[in-house]
Amino acid sequence: MGLETKEADTNSATVALRPGRALLFVVVGLVLYALLFAGSELLARRMAAHNPVHRILTAQPDGQDWVILGASHAMPLDFQGFGAQITQATGQRVLNLATPGTGPLYHRFLTERFFATHRADGVLVVVDSFAFYSEQWNEDRFADSDLLSRTPLDARVLRLFGHFLAHGLDPRALLDYATGFSKINNHERFQPDRWEAEDNFDRTIRPSAHADNERIAYLYPQPPDAAVVARYLDELAALFAVARASGAEVVVIKPPVPARFAALFPDEAAFDAALGALLQREEVAFHDFTDALPDPGFYFDADHLNRRGAVHFLEAHLAPILTQVEAQPTQR
Amino acid sequence: MAFTSLAFFLFVPIVLAGFLALPGRMRLAWLLAASAVFYASYGIGAFLHLVFVVALAHAAAHGLERAATPAHRRAMLAAGVGGLIAALGFSKFGDFALAELARTTGMPELRTGLTAPPGFSFYVFMATAYVVDVWRGLVQPTGLVQTALQLSWFPKILAGPIERAGSILPQLGEAMRANPVQTALGLQLILWGLIKKVVIADNLAPLVDRTFAIPAYAPPMELLISLYFFAFQLYCDFSGYTDMAIGLSLLFGIALRENFRRPFLSLTVNEFWSKRWHISLGNWFRDYLFFPLTGSRGASALRQHLALLAVFAASGLWHAGQGYGVGWAFVIWGLLNGAYVSVEKMLQPAGRRFARRYPLVAGSSVMAMLRVFVTFHLILITWAFFRADTVENAVLILQRIGAALPEMAGLVLRYPFTTEHALGAGLIIALFSVEVLSERRGFIERLRAWPTALRWSAWYAGLAALLLLGRWGEGAFIYQGF
Repeated sequence: MGLETKEADTNSATVALRPGRALLFVVVGLVLYALLFAGSELLARRMAAHNPVHRILTAQPDGQDWVILGASHAMPLDFQGFGAQITQATGQRVLNLATPGTGPLYHRFLTERFFATHRADGVLVVVDSFAFYSEQWNEDRFADSDLLSRTPLDARVLRLFGHFLAHGLDPRALLDYATGFSKINNHERFQPDRWEAEDNFDRTIRPSAHADNERIAYLYPQPPDAAVVARYLDELAALFAVARASGAEVVVIKPPVPARFAALFPDEAAFDAALGALLQREEVAFHDFTDALPDPGFYFDADHLNRRGAVHFLEAHLAPILTQVEAQPTQR
Repeated sequence: MAFTSLAFFLFVPIVLAGFLALPGRMRLAWLLAASAVFYASYGIGAFLHLVFVVALAHAAAHGLERAATPAHRRAMLAAGVGGLIAALGFSKFGDFALAELARTTGMPELRTGLTAPPGFSFYVFMATAYVVDVWRGLVQPTGLVQTALQLSWFPKILAGPIERAGSILPQLGEAMRANPVQTALGLQLILWGLIKKVVIADNLAPLVDRTFAIPAYAPPMELLISLYFFAFQLYCDFSGYTDMAIGLSLLFGIALRENFRRPFLSLTVNEFWSKRWHISLGNWFRDYLFFPLTGSRGASALRQHLALLAVFAASGLWHAGQGYGVGWAFVIWGLLNGAYVSVEKMLQPAGRRFARRYPLVAGSSVMAMLRVFVTFHLILITWAFFRADTVENAVLILQRIGAALPEMAGLVLRYPFTTEHALGAGLIIALFSVEVLSERRGFIERLRAWPTALRWSAWYAGLAALLLLGRWGEGAFIYQGF
């Protein structure tokens, strides 16, 4: 660039620093930044159809019977308009807030944000053991630029981020969200916010031990740790409390996965015991569907339901749950 | 603490504020403490490596000063330089050598567990130069704080420039302070270095990484594009770091040497290596290896050519320790470049005769462009050996590109170019345009002559590029691994 130091008379002190001009430069820069932020925010809102916060902000405050929380295993329940199919089959209006790779801490955050301005009769929490084993699926997800770049700016979310600092949220996530950095810096700003896996919803998997093992290694990057599990179970209990305080019934399910895949879960019995103890203590309804659809023909990849699997799951298992719960009086 | 991390953007203002607030006599200690904190962020092992090198260089320099006889001085020099080079070799190649020994002899494999920390070779080279320069009488041994600071100065510790004690030590005193011109230039260099790193290099890297991971399966067109992209990725990554290092140093009133001068505009390979690319390393090899090998300026042509090859082979060996892995590909890369320079030297008389006979042709812009084009592509061939995992893969890449060259025009027309290709090409063209413009008149000078509104617009455009196109947190600088 020709920025060699010799080109400039670097020893000259004849040029005086002018604080007024420096201040003006900063002010103009901040104005330009604000414009960039505003433009990025508008674009993000236009592209963020699947972001859970965007879904909350664009949902009718009183228009939901059920809210679904979970990681990617709950997402097929909304693929390619499947949510409407659920409504048609059960008469229940469902807002699916499932987000890939998220755990109880993030779900608690979504629950708090949802019930701050909305109401629903029930909360269906789709629980995966992997989400209780690592910060990667909890605290770290708040700072994930993929999520932040699509999360609309909202004063309540900002306050919640501040509140979640006490729960181990990285301050950089708060800073990022408040400044809109990930939105401005989003390299896929013109791409719609969607999980590419949705395109495979009508496919059927060809079983692969290699793919299964890779997927398990990805989901369970660390060995199970009882203390970590206990911490995230506390977050789940806090989620229950928020939902119940708003008059919603809570139901917890474990999603169906192929038998081959379920056999690879590390230490699932210990997790089930810890989860069971919490649910019993909290008197929360629980359905374990892990073995409900063992045939790989119900899945489009190692562990996600395809359309056939989702239809079967809806008819045989989900519909009865969604239609049996009635709203409870609000406790606050 | 990467230069592109939030932690670093908080760290620098704190260090600068302390520097400006403290009295002159405490500034050296403050900067040394800051440098120690910065380097310790790479681990206690890294910090101990640095302490070892500083202690050895300091002891050797003062030992040379105290040595009573020439024999003592030679012994002290051998101990100092030998210790430093041995530490470098052991850290870079120790486990590799032990593994090779076990493989060839069938003995059980031992491991030292030592790996060279980031920037290790850079401060070892500086320390070696310091000891040799004390021995040559070019500099006087200094106090421990100054020695430690010149080696550990945080803006340059990871990847240079490889400063000489003679140029940096006089700047490390109580009078250290930056004037507004230095500050403005420093900020410009930091901005430009960041753009090179996070906007250009890190946007080119994903395609390069993907393609070089599967050289046997990637289409030849993709291999060729990746090779071009890698040349600019490496340049922007490395020169971006040194621009930032120079800029950061200027904020403290310390002027580091220039390390890159628009290398892809070189007319010859020799010019590329001696005057434009990683200049401080080229000078280091010249002063501490080439000259000792040739003995004197009256050395025979054969000896000079052999020394040249030895220097380039040593440079290849140095690269082989880390970075893209241990392997002979780096040595081949070095030898190829050495061979280019040797052949150029042999062709010099013919070139001069041609220039005398056809001065208009030799001095024309077309000829200059042709020479730049040929030089760039000669060096491009060697980058295949630099970036590929193995010699076999480098050869495979060049073979597949070579085989496709006759039909390249058709391939270009039919190739399904993506936005990633377009972005990469756009960034390279933008960089190249700035570099060509700067070749005649430095960009800083041009910028100074512009009206305020235009000048500020250039700043805001650079900052916007960082915000909109930068890939933040993508990883370390390539050369800090060497």
